Amino acid sequence: MNSYYAINLLIYAGVDIIACLALNLQFGVAGIVNFSFIVFQAVGAYTAAVLSMPPDTAPDYSFQIYVGGLQLPFPIPWIGGAIAGGLLAVPVGFVVLRKLRSDYQAIALLVLSVIANTVITNARPFLNGAAGLALVPAPLADLFDPATYGYFYVGLTAICTALVALVAFRIVNSPYGRTLRAMREHEVAATAIGKNPVALKMTIFIVGGVIAGLSGGILTGYITFWAPSVWLYPETIILFAAVIVGGRGNNLGAVLGALLVPVGFEEVTRFIPSSIGPPGLIPALQWVAIGLLIIGFLWFRPEGVRPEPRRVFEGAPD
Amino acid sequence: MSLFVAAFGFGLVSMSVIAIAAVGFTMQFGITNMINLAYGEVMISSAYVAYYLNKAGISIWIGMVVGALFGAAFSFLLNRIVYAPFQRKGTSYLGMVIVSLAISLMMANLLLPIVGYYSVSYQEGTGGLIRLGAIILTTNQILIIGIAVVVMLLIHGLLKYTRLGKAMRATSANPTLARNCGIPTQRVVDAVWLITGALCGLAGVVAALNSDSFAIANGAAFLITILAAAVLGGAGQPYGAMIGAVLIGLITELSAAAWSPEYKEVVAFGVLVLVMVLRPQGLLAKRGAMAAAG
Repeated sequence: MNSYYAINLLIYAGVDIIACLALNLQFGVAGIVNFSFIVFQAVGAYTAAVLSMPPDTAPDYSFQIYVGGLQLPFPIPWIGGAIAGGLLAVPVGFVVLRKLRSDYQAIALLVLSVIANTVITNARPFLNGAAGLALVPAPLADLFDPATYGYFYVGLTAICTALVALVAFRIVNSPYGRTLRAMREHEVAATAIGKNPVALKMTIFIVGGVIAGLSGGILTGYITFWAPSVWLYPETIILFAAVIVGGRGNNLGAVLGALLVPVGFEEVTRFIPSSIGPPGLIPALQWVAIGLLIIGFLWFRPEGVRPEPRRVFEGAPD
Repeated sequence: MSLFVAAFGFGLVSMSVIAIAAVGFTMQFGITNMINLAYGEVMISSAYVAYYLNKAGISIWIGMVVGALFGAAFSFLLNRIVYAPFQRKGTSYLGMVIVSLAISLMMANLLLPIVGYYSVSYQEGTGGLIRLGAIILTTNQILIIGIAVVVMLLIHGLLKYTRLGKAMRATSANPTLARNCGIPTQRVVDAVWLITGALCGLAGVVAALNSDSFAIANGAAFLITILAAAVLGGAGQPYGAMIGAVLIGLITELSAAAWSPEYKEVVAFGVLVLVMVLRPQGLLAKRGAMAAAG
C-alpha cells in the first residue's frame, strides 16, 4: 500500500515537473501567458489514448464512442501525443500570437480553454463526451508483473522528465533563450536589433505544446482514463501558481514549484478530514488557497522562491 | 422562418443583457486599464444576493436594485483592496490579468460552499405573454429590454453631458495629462468602479432572471459572451460594446435556433476568433488590441 502511494506520488511529481518546465519556457522565459496550457496536455492525452486503444467496436470498449482506436505499440502513442500538442500550437499561435497585445493573448487563451472543454464535453461521438475515455491501455503492461509494473512506470516517467529537463536547460542557456528573454523584457528593442518576435514566440509555443502533449500521454497511460473533468481551466492556474511560487524564468524554480504546489499542496491538504463543513468545502478552500498563493507571491515575492539569475556580462565596465 | 423571427425576439432580450454587462466591463478596461476577469463572478454573486432576498419574499425588482448596489460596493472594494495596490506597485498588465483570474477562482470557490452546486431560480411570475407577430416575449423580457435601453441612454448622457463623464473620457485617453489638468483621477477611478460595478450587478440579476435557472458555473459562460461583445466592439469603447452586444446577442440566438443552444458560447468564441484575426482593434477602436502593452 505504501509503495503504491510512493509510486503514485513519483509519477504525478514527474508529470507536474514536465508540465511546469514547459510552462516556464512559455511564461517564465518568453513571457507568453498561456492560460490554455492544460488544453495542450489534454490533446496529448487524448491522442495517446486513441492511438493505443483498440477500435470502439472491440468487445470491452463498445460502451464508449471515439475516433481512432489504432492499437499502436508503445512509444508511438506518446510520440503521437507530443506531436499533437505541437500541431495544436500552430493554429492557436497563428491566431493569438501574431497581432494581439499580450493581455489580449492571455484572455483569448483562457477563453479557448473554456470553449475547448465545452466542445469536447458536448460532442460525444468524437471523444466520448463528458464521460471521457476509460480503459486506456498502460504501455507495455503485458511485459511486466502487475506488482512491479509501477516501478517500471516510475522509471519511464523519470527518463522523460530528465529528457525534458535537459531540453529546457539547453534552451534557457542557449542564444535562443537569451533572445527570448530579450524579447520578454523589451519586445520593441529586440525587434529593432532584427529579431522576429512572432517567430520566436511561435517556436517556444510549439516546443511547449510538444512537451505538454507528452505530459498528457504519460498521465493518461498511468491513470488509464481521460475526461473533460480533469482538464478544466483552473488546472492551468495551479501550474501558474507553481511557476510563480518556484520562480519565473528559472528551470530549477519550476521544478521546485511543481514539487511545492501541485504535489506538496495536494498531499498536505489530503490529511485534512473531508468531513469538516458542508460537502465540497475542503476542495473549494484548496482552490481559494491556490488563489491566495498566487496573489500573495505576486505581492510579497514576485520573483518566486528561486528567482531567475541576473545574467551579467563579466567583462562589463562598472 | 417563424423560428428565426422568434429567435430574433430572444436576440433582442439577450443583446439587452449582454449590453448592460459589456458596457460595464469595457468601461473598467478603458478607464482603469484593468481586464477584470472576476467580472463574471461578481455578476453571479449579485444574482445570488437578489436570489436570497427574493427567497425571503422580496420582489425581484427590489432585489435587482440591491444586486446592483452589491455589485457597485463589491467592485469598488475589490479595486481599492486588491487591484489598485497592485497597479500602484507597478504590476504589468499581464500580472494584473493573472491577479484578476486568481480573484475569480477564489470568488467562485468561496461562493460554492455557501450557495451549493445546484441550479436555482427566482420566484417570480414571468408575467403575461406579449405577441408582436411571430415574436413572443414575456412581460419580464420586455422590461429587461426597457431597462437596457434606459441604462444605455443614462450611460450616453453620463459620458457626453456631465463633468464626471468628461473627466472619465479624459482619464481614459491619458491619465497623466488628466491629472495634470487638475482632474482628480483617483476619484474618477473610484466613480468608475462604482458605476461599472452597479452595471455588473444589474447585469447579473437581469441575466439570471432571463434564464430559467442559474448556477455558480454560469460565471465563466457570462464572461465569454461579455469578452466577445467587448472585443468585437473594440475594448474600452462603451459605444463599441453596445454594438458588439447587439451583434453577439443576435448571432448567438440565431445560431441557437439554427443549430444547438449548447453551442451559444462556442459561437460567441468563433466571433471572438474571427475578430482577433481580421480586426483585432475591434469595430470602433483605432488602436485597441494592437497597442503595445506597457
